[in-house]
Amino acid sequence: MKLITKFILIYLFVTVIVLGIGGYLSYFIIKGELNNELKWRFLDHIDRVTYLLERGKDFNSKKVNHSGDRNLEIRPLSVQREPDIIVKDTMVWHERLQQMEPNLKMTAYRTVDDTTYYISTHGALVESDDITEAVVQILLWILGMQVIGAIGVGFIVSNRLFKPFRNTLDQIKSFNLQDKEPITAQETNVTEFDDLNHFVEEMTRKAVADYKNLKEFAENASHELQTPLSIVKGKLELLTETDLSPEQYQYVEASHRSIKKLSRLSESLALLTKIENHEFTQKDEVNFTKLIQDSTQAFEEFIKLNGLEVEADLKEEVTLQIHSVLADILWTNLFQNAIKHNIEDGRIKIELTEDFLRISNTGRPLDDDPHILFERFKKADHSNESIGLGLAIIKQIAEQNDYSISYDYKDKWHTITIEF
Amino acid sequence: MKLLIIEDNEDLLENIRTYLKREGYICEAARDYSEAFDKVMSYTYDVVLIDIMIPGGSGLQVLRELKSVNPKTGTIIISAKNALDDKIEGLELGADDYITKPFQLPELHARIKAVNRRNQRGGQEILNVNEISINTDTMEVTVDGTPVDLTPKEYDLMLYFASNKNHVLSKQTIAEHLWGDYVDHLTNLDFVYQHIKNLRKKLEEAGANNYIKSVYGIGYKFKVNNHA
Repeated sequence: MKLITKFILIYLFVTVIVLGIGGYLSYFIIKGELNNELKWRFLDHIDRVTYLLERGKDFNSKKVNHSGDRNLEIRPLSVQREPDIIVKDTMVWHERLQQMEPNLKMTAYRTVDDTTYYISTHGALVESDDITEAVVQILLWILGMQVIGAIGVGFIVSNRLFKPFRNTLDQIKSFNLQDKEPITAQETNVTEFDDLNHFVEEMTRKAVADYKNLKEFAENASHELQTPLSIVKGKLELLTETDLSPEQYQYVEASHRSIKKLSRLSESLALLTKIENHEFTQKDEVNFTKLIQDSTQAFEEFIKLNGLEVEADLKEEVTLQIHSVLADILWTNLFQNAIKHNIEDGRIKIELTEDFLRISNTGRPLDDDPHILFERFKKADHSNESIGLGLAIIKQIAEQNDYSISYDYKDKWHTITIEF
Repeated sequence: MKLLIIEDNEDLLENIRTYLKREGYICEAARDYSEAFDKVMSYTYDVVLIDIMIPGGSGLQVLRELKSVNPKTGTIIISAKNALDDKIEGLELGADDYITKPFQLPELHARIKAVNRRNQRGGQEILNVNEISINTDTMEVTVDGTPVDLTPKEYDLMLYFASNKNHVLSKQTIAEHLWGDYVDHLTNLDFVYQHIKNLRKKLEEAGANNYIKSVYGIGYKFKVNNHA
């Protein structure tokens, strides 16, 4: 929900509550006022009648229309009474509406020349429903205007006042570490926005610096590692040129293998870092069908050597938008995995369509939970030759290109599916 | 052959020198940018090895300057970064080859030879090892004039042996030379033996001596007595 929508909603919520309370109060105040008004009018009538009585006017106990009050009733009483006024609500039959209507009835006892008169009148009260209806109508008008006002104010606020905030937000959205450019704070005339902008600038500056350091570290570490490895490799090669016993040869060869592994490790880590740093964002048109066909030819010798059988069901001309280097690495890693973790006289199945790439190979079940398969340095099969980064690289490449990746093991078949 | 090695790491320099000296090369060294600059400007070399990361400047800059004065010199870039950009830039600047650390000395040597062959004045493309001669242009191998029919891989292997005579080459080294990174994940290197066996057989059938000797079942040596 947008901030401004939220603001308007809260504002309207409060408005509705206030209007509700206001309406409730208005209802009673209006009702009270109307009743009072009625009472004053009746009192006025009664006073007038009294005055007329005092002046000797005879009402002959029949209803006379005085000052338009047809409900006036005046009777002399046989006994004397204290002057008194009684006000009460009654229901009176209404001729025209053919229904009982609530009325205010006012009865007064007035003594004129030792005769006590009973003077009474009644009149229709304004019905509560009517008041309610009026109040609600008023409130709805007010609410309507409030809504329009709130939305108006909201738009002005969000357009004008929040403009710098939205600008900052846009900048953050389009911020990319690769550009190595921090977001520079623009001066607004709002303290909070200035604080935010300065904070964002500070943060992105730091992120850019950290990113640069990390990248440099990864590059340098990998680079610095390769030179000593190169040296040791060379020394071992020179050592093989001297007269060595078979046993010494074995040691040299074993060291060689370890160095090879070490250098592959650092290369893979450097590669992972590079992929993570989005250095391969360029998209090329890669013909995957051709890529797979070429690689199966390149690996043919190793496939034969391991007595493997490869069956490929490839859709013609499947092209994907992916960095060509990544496509190469992705497929080579997948395929090498299938060869490496296979069994003697095993089989490999490759399936490629526009939507997915699936590679299955026969093999022993995993020693570990398949969930850890794509994590770094996790080896489900503890063969000492693998460095455990192959699948992590595959996963990284898949994520980079928004492909989903899944693994499955069934009836001695390992299957990795990549959905484009 | 006269070589210049531009490399700031003393140990690495020493390795390359030791290996190449046995081949009778004259190796000079430059350890930083200014020294490298002086040397490529003042002398002529057959092949120059250039490490990209050197103190005081970039190896690519040295390459640029070298190409401006001596475009005929063979150049090989040595880089620890498997960075594609470096490679592309290096090759665009006219480097003949590109090798990444950690490399193998026999591999480096084979490449130096190949670069030198390509750049030799008169373009002599025949490599002779006693009765065996290899024409690197047509990729033909003959024994006393009799052509030997080799597969591309066997030819590659032959050339590699001829470039690294009398050196012990382990199965791993040979495998990496022939198949590059494809062998990274393989534990079984028997296929190297298959190729060696076939090459040996074909050479012998053509009447060549058996120069390929096994070394303790770990590697092989192309043993030629008189140093050519």
